[in-house]
Amino acid sequence: VLETLGNLGTGFAVALSPGVLFYGFLGCLVGTLVGVLPGVGPLAGISLLLPATFGLDATRAIVMLAGIYYGAMYGGSTTSILMRIPGEAASVMTCVDGYAMARKGRAGPALSIAAVGSYVAGTASVVGLMLLAPPLATFALRFGPPEYLALLLLGLLVLAYMSSGPMLKSLAMAALGLLLGMVGIDQMSGYFRYAYGLVELGDGIGVVPVAVGLFGLGEILATAGRKTPPEVIRPRVRDLLPSRREWRESGWPIARGTVLGFFIGIIPGSAHIIASFVSYAIEKKFSRRPEEFGRGAVAGVAGPESANNAATSGAFVPMLALGVPSGPVPAVLIAAMMVHGVAPGPLLIQQQPELFWGFIASMYVGNLVLLVLNLPLVGLFVNVLRVPYPILYPTIVLFCLLGVYAVNNSVVEVWIMVVMGALGYVLRKLDLETAPIVLGVVLAPMIEVSFRQSLATSAGSYAIFVERPIAVTLLAAGFVFLLLGLRPLLTRGLDWRARMALAAKGEKT
Amino acid sequence: MRRLTAAVLWLLTLPLVSAAWAQEPFPTRPITLVAPFPPGGVADLTARPVAAAMEKTLKSPVGVVNKTGAAGAVGMQSVATARPDGYTLLLALSSISIIPEADKLFGRPPAFTVDQFEPLALISADPTILVVRAESPWKTAKEFIEDARKRPGQISYSSSGVYGTLHMAIELLSHAAGIKLRHVPHQGAGPALTAILGGHVDALASGPAVVLPHIKSGKLRPLAGWGDKRVAALPEVPTFKELGYPEAEFYIWAGVFAPRGTPDAVLAKLRDTLAAAVNDPDFKAAMGKLQTPVVFKQGAEFKRFFDADARRLAEGVRRVGKIETK
Repeated sequence: VLETLGNLGTGFAVALSPGVLFYGFLGCLVGTLVGVLPGVGPLAGISLLLPATFGLDATRAIVMLAGIYYGAMYGGSTTSILMRIPGEAASVMTCVDGYAMARKGRAGPALSIAAVGSYVAGTASVVGLMLLAPPLATFALRFGPPEYLALLLLGLLVLAYMSSGPMLKSLAMAALGLLLGMVGIDQMSGYFRYAYGLVELGDGIGVVPVAVGLFGLGEILATAGRKTPPEVIRPRVRDLLPSRREWRESGWPIARGTVLGFFIGIIPGSAHIIASFVSYAIEKKFSRRPEEFGRGAVAGVAGPESANNAATSGAFVPMLALGVPSGPVPAVLIAAMMVHGVAPGPLLIQQQPELFWGFIASMYVGNLVLLVLNLPLVGLFVNVLRVPYPILYPTIVLFCLLGVYAVNNSVVEVWIMVVMGALGYVLRKLDLETAPIVLGVVLAPMIEVSFRQSLATSAGSYAIFVERPIAVTLLAAGFVFLLLGLRPLLTRGLDWRARMALAAKGEKT
Repeated sequence: MRRLTAAVLWLLTLPLVSAAWAQEPFPTRPITLVAPFPPGGVADLTARPVAAAMEKTLKSPVGVVNKTGAAGAVGMQSVATARPDGYTLLLALSSISIIPEADKLFGRPPAFTVDQFEPLALISADPTILVVRAESPWKTAKEFIEDARKRPGQISYSSSGVYGTLHMAIELLSHAAGIKLRHVPHQGAGPALTAILGGHVDALASGPAVVLPHIKSGKLRPLAGWGDKRVAALPEVPTFKELGYPEAEFYIWAGVFAPRGTPDAVLAKLRDTLAAAVNDPDFKAAMGKLQTPVVFKQGAEFKRFFDADARRLAEGVRRVGKIETK
């Protein structure tokens, strides 16, 4: 422990030196902006700025790029809450209840809770990163294709069990998402599937244009289609801060979201987005008032927002401890280290203690900076809601188009977003949920690839899923959720889900 | 009437004006170097120092644009169909000869063909090396190959993707040594490395720089390399050529290409620029940090290298054939 404290002292000396502090701050600031801009996520932001860091030294470059990564998680909630546009993919769940809170005039509290939750999650998971990185990373490496598949299936079953409203509608939407996720090059054989000769569809349908289209454009089109425009919300100053009740209801969701996000984050793969989905589902289950979810439950903002932030710190665990990329963003960070002649690998912590501990310390500082940066901005951001719709909405559409185009310089992705916007509008009219589509698009390729990789590893034997301890444990847990989900069918009793559906019906008539 | 005549005359002179403009010194505006892979990948990390060094010689901006998608096909296609004026260049990797061959195999219209490009220069060539986990029973490449012969399809390896560079490296070895290994494709070189470190596969062909830290820390053991010379950082590791498998020669190389039809004068200027660029001290320092050896070839020499490489890879793709998955 003393040694850790000593090392941390060295780290803070590095992190608080003016140069590193400046670039860390810059990274956090850029990250917040990147998160706020619809479409442009942390990966695009880091990729765009990677060349700009080639002139810096390794520590400054890494501190700045990491700042963009976790800074984006703070910024991502802003547009989700205010306009129902996911600033980046991990904020999709925040759109649901965050936006509902904003419609009730509680935009300020939602933003504050998101910022505080992100701060708590960010700081707590850096503690985990600092104390447990090497053993956790070794554990994370044991997640091969079968374990990964089991984890994804477990996540899916938890979601299915805990999702609200009519099960059939949710499943239909998830299936649509899974189908969309099938587009692109078959990773195991090289066939183009449903690409219709468009090379640009080779990598499939990206989650960013889908999420921005379904949520953002769909919402805007739906609003434009109403006879009377919705009232412009004028938030009052005293409504900026969360009430005591809102604080109380956020405490546990933040804690659970943090732990969940951190552990999903350390597992190599790009399943980070499911951290926020599963967190949302869990909070709904734990809530005393599950019927509030979807209509502005503060726990539905606190949990997912904490989870996505904790997942980013978790993703650094395998990167720093072993030099293996746990996702696309850590892969770019590893490249950034290599550009500076730092070889990322198991010896990094010993050979580059200043970089490692400076990085850790900079994350403590960075999270604090982001909190200080974001809380006062709440007052500023909520004023966006005062802008009249004829001005606000065209501006948002413009930013969506620019953001989605900027990610890959691809017009095809802009078209995908436009089509998804139209689809989002239709689905809203039909009263269908759009979040399961996004989840399907994300999960389909991952589930398929990990399933087929598992079978490639075992030469086609399905026994691989029950021979490996982690995989079989996760699958067994998933099976339990499946049985629990089927219980209402057997007992014919109405559970809270059915009661909610009934209540919703009663409301409409 | 007079006015009309004047207008017609003016219109007639327009082609002359633009022809004269084409004779102007090159370049008069920024050049775009397309890296068909995302930032942080080999293509991107090579393209940026190349662009910076070209800028110094040309005294004109050279920008790197990442046009990614479909394993590089999107970016390569965009340059193949770009206006051949020297302002759009491509930094390609070995996959430039794999993609058209795979398209042919699947009977789909090719995204582009190799003939659509004018090779300018080879910048770097990094032989792949074969690594296994330190706990594994194989101490030498000979033991590995003998065991693989005894148990066809039992020893597994990860790769960066089907028909990808790391897949092709193993395919060339398998053919040369008459062995059959079990392929578990991953999505990129990073996940492929994670898979072997986690013990989910037995072997991996990889660029040396990526696996060196893991060799040093004792997690991975190098068995042999695909180069015609040994890797400088691993002098004790033999090449497959030395072991009697000369057809197992493979490099992860990076080269600069222009669209075919680019005027000769412009091509000459670009070739001179690239020759100067690889001797730029900043460029050398940048490549040194990446531990990527600079191998510069131009003209007939590059053509020989490129043709031999393309032939081996095309044969490799055809041998692999369409992959039937269970």
